[in-house]
Amino acid sequence: MNEGFWRAIEIFNYVVLGYFILLNAVYLGTSVFAFGALKRYALRLKSLDLTDLITSGGAPPISLIAPAYNEALTCVESVRSLLTIEYPEFEVIVVNDGSKDETVAVLRDAFQLEPANRIPTAYLKSAKVRQVYRSRSHPSLWLVDKENGGKADALNAGVNYCYTPIFCAMDADSLLEPEALIRIVRPFLEDATTIASGGVLRIANGCKVERGRVVEVGLPRSLLARFQVLEYLRVFLAGRMGWAAIDASLIISGAFGLFSRTAVVNAGGYATDTVGEDMELVVRLHRYHAENGIPYKIQFVPDPVAWTECPESLAVLARQRDRWQRGLFQTLTRHKRMLLRPTYKAAGMVAFPYFFFLEMLGPAIELLGYLSFAVTIVAGRADWYFVGAFLAVAVVLGGALSLAAVALEELSFHRYPRLVDLLQLFSLAALENLGYRQLNTWWRVKGTISALRGVEGWGKMTRKGFS
Amino acid sequence: MSFFDGREVLAALIVVVATLFVVTVVFSMYAVGLRLRHQARDRRRDAFAEKWREPTLGALAAPESIASFTAAIRDDERIHFVGFAVQYARRLRGDGRDTIRALAKPYLGVIARRADSSNVEIRARAIQTLGLLGLPEHAPRVMAALDDRSPLVAMVAARALSQEESPEYAAAVLGRLGRFEGWNRRFLASMLAAMGPKVASTLREGLRNAGAQPRARAVLAEALLLQGDPLAGDVAAEVLDTASDRDLQITALRLLASVGRPDHAATVRRHTDAADEVVRAQALRALGAVGSESDVRGLIEAMSDPSPWVALSAARAVLDAGGRSALAEIGSSDRATAAIARQVLSEERVAA
Repeated sequence: MNEGFWRAIEIFNYVVLGYFILLNAVYLGTSVFAFGALKRYALRLKSLDLTDLITSGGAPPISLIAPAYNEALTCVESVRSLLTIEYPEFEVIVVNDGSKDETVAVLRDAFQLEPANRIPTAYLKSAKVRQVYRSRSHPSLWLVDKENGGKADALNAGVNYCYTPIFCAMDADSLLEPEALIRIVRPFLEDATTIASGGVLRIANGCKVERGRVVEVGLPRSLLARFQVLEYLRVFLAGRMGWAAIDASLIISGAFGLFSRTAVVNAGGYATDTVGEDMELVVRLHRYHAENGIPYKIQFVPDPVAWTECPESLAVLARQRDRWQRGLFQTLTRHKRMLLRPTYKAAGMVAFPYFFFLEMLGPAIELLGYLSFAVTIVAGRADWYFVGAFLAVAVVLGGALSLAAVALEELSFHRYPRLVDLLQLFSLAALENLGYRQLNTWWRVKGTISALRGVEGWGKMTRKGFS
Repeated sequence: MSFFDGREVLAALIVVVATLFVVTVVFSMYAVGLRLRHQARDRRRDAFAEKWREPTLGALAAPESIASFTAAIRDDERIHFVGFAVQYARRLRGDGRDTIRALAKPYLGVIARRADSSNVEIRARAIQTLGLLGLPEHAPRVMAALDDRSPLVAMVAARALSQEESPEYAAAVLGRLGRFEGWNRRFLASMLAAMGPKVASTLREGLRNAGAQPRARAVLAEALLLQGDPLAGDVAAEVLDTASDRDLQITALRLLASVGRPDHAATVRRHTDAADEVVRAQALRALGAVGSESDVRGLIEAMSDPSPWVALSAARAVLDAGGRSALAEIGSSDRATAAIARQVLSEERVAA
C-alpha cells in the first residue's frame, strides 16, 4: 500500500487518540464535579428533614403519569406499588396506550374502575382517548384509555389530563421507592424556577421484590445485567450528577423524572416522532426557556430511586442501545442550533458539544479506531510495547472511571449492603472493558446508522418480570 | 517514523498506566474504606441506640431521672448522644420534646461551635440541631443564622424558629422573608402557617403592607389561607382592590374563596373578566364562595370560557353558589359544557 494511505491511517490514529483522551477527560471531569456535589448533597440531606416536608403541607401535589402498553401481567402490582408511595397529595394516571392484551380489563377489575368525567386541561398532541376511568376503591387512581400512539403520545395524553402543577413521568413497570417523590420534589421547593428534576434508575435484576417494593438489594446473576449495574452507577452518579452540578443536564430518564406541567405544556409536550422523547423534551425545555428569557433550572437528585428491570439477553440489550442511540441522534440533530451557542449557557456550550461530538459521533470514531488500530498492527507498523501500553491505558482508565462511580456510590448511598457485592463491582470495572464496551460501541454505531436510515419504532422489548 | 513507535510517547504511556493504576487502587481502597467506615458507624449508632433507649424512655416517663442519665454519658459520647436525641425530638411534641431538650442541653456547646463552621452544610445541620434542641438558650445564635450568607442556613434557621409554641420568633422570620425569594411559595407559607394562630395578626399586617414585596405578601396570604384565618378576608379584599401583582391577586382571591364574606363579592366580581386565565379562574372560584344565587347565571356563562381551567373553576363555583340543579340540568343536556358539569357533580359525589 502507498505511503499516502499509511499517512492517513496515522493521522486517523491520532484523531482516535485525541477522541479517547477528550472523552475520558470529560468522564473524569464529571466524576470530580459529582464527587463534590454528592458530598455536599449527603450533608445537605441531614440539614432539611424530609419528614418536615411530609407533615408540613408544603409539598406541592403531584400526578404520577404511567404509560402502559400490554402490561396485563404486571400492571396491577405496579399500580398497587404506586398507590403506597409516601407523599401528602398525589394522583396516579395510568395511560393505556391501546394495549392489545387485557391491561384495561385487569385494572378495571382490580381497582373497581368506572367511567368518569374528566375534561382535558391541555391539548398536547395525542391519539384519540376512548374513555377515562376513575377507581371507586382508590379515588386518586385514574385510567386514561386511548388508542395506540407510542410512549410519548401516551405521556402527552397523561399531561392533558393532569390537574397538578407537577407531574412525574415514569414507566408503568418501574418500581418507585416509597420516599422517591418526597426526595425528587426537593429542588422544586428550594428553587421556584425549577422546571424539571431527574432521579436515579437502578437495576432491579437480582433484587428481591415483594408487593411492588424492592426489599433486598443484590447484584444480578447474569454477567450482562451486572455490567449494566455498573454502567447505571457511572451514568447516574458520575455523569448526570456531574452535568447537573454545572447546570447542564440534557437528559432526565423517561422512567423517572419530575416536570412542571406548565413548562412542558408551554414547550409543546413530548415529541411523538422520536424514540428519545425523554431527552428531546429536556433539550427542548432548555431551548424554550433560554430563547424566551425565562429563568429556569433543570436539576438532578441522586437519592430518589426507581428500580427497573434491565435486559439480560444480548438481542434485547442490542435493541435497547440501538434505540437509545437513535433517540440521541434524533434529538441532537433536531436541536443542533444549540451547539456552541452562548444563549444556552452551559447546556449549549459544554453539554451539547459533548453529546454531539463524543456521544453521538464518538462510537463511530471508536469503532473505526479499532479497525485502523488492527490494520496498523497487522501491517507491522506498530511497536508492540506501544500497543500494549495503549491498551493498558484504555483498560486501566476505563476501570478507574468505573471504580470512581463505585466509590461515589459508597460515598453517598451505598445501596449494595454486602461487601462481596462491592468487590464484585470492582472486578466488573476491569472486565467490562474487555468485550462489553466494544459491544456497546458496535450497537451504538448500528443505532447511528439506523437513525440515518430513518428507522422508527422501539423494537421488541421482552421482560422477565420482577422476582 | 510510523505510528506507535515513539519512545518518548511510549514512556509517557507507561507513566500514565502506572498513574492510573495507582488511581484505581486509591479508588478501590477509598470505596472499601468508606464501606468499613459506614459499617463501623452503623454498628456504633446501633449500640448507642440500644444503650440509651431504655434510659430515654425512662426519662420521658419520669423527668426527674434526667440528671442520673446524663451523668452516665461519657465525654466522647456527647456528640453521638445529641444525634440520638435529634431522632427522638423530631418525633415528639410538647413535654416529651422538652424532656429530650433537657437531656441534650449539657452537650449542645459543641454543636454551637459547629454553627460557626466554614462549611455551609455543617453549619446548617448545627443550626437545625440547635433549633430543635437548644431553644430558647441558643435562640440568639439561631436568629443570627437568619442573616447567614448561605440561603440554606438561613432557611434552616427560619424553619427552626417557625414553631407554634414560640411565636416570639415570628417577627424575626417575617422580617427576613425577602431572603427566601427563590423558595417555593407554598413551602414558605406552610412554614409560616406552622407558627399557629397567635401570629395571624402579624401575618395580616404584613399582607396589608403595600410597601412590602408582592411575593412576600403572596406568601403571607397563602399562610393565612393555610391557617384558615377568618379575619383575613377584609385584608384580602383590600389587597385585591389595590395590588396589581398577578401572584398576589391570585393568592388574595384564593384567600377570599376560603374565608371571604358576601360583602367581598363586588371586589371579586371586578376580576372575573381578567385577561390572565389563572386570575380569572380564581376570581370565579371566589365568586362561587362569596357570591349569591344571582351570580349563578354569569358563572354558567363562564363555563364556556376557552380556558379549560376557567371553565372548570366556573362549574365548581356554580355548585358552591347553590346552582346544583342548574348544573345537573346542564350535565344531562347535550350542551358543550355538559361534560364539565358532569365532572363537577361527580367530584362532589366522590368528596361526599
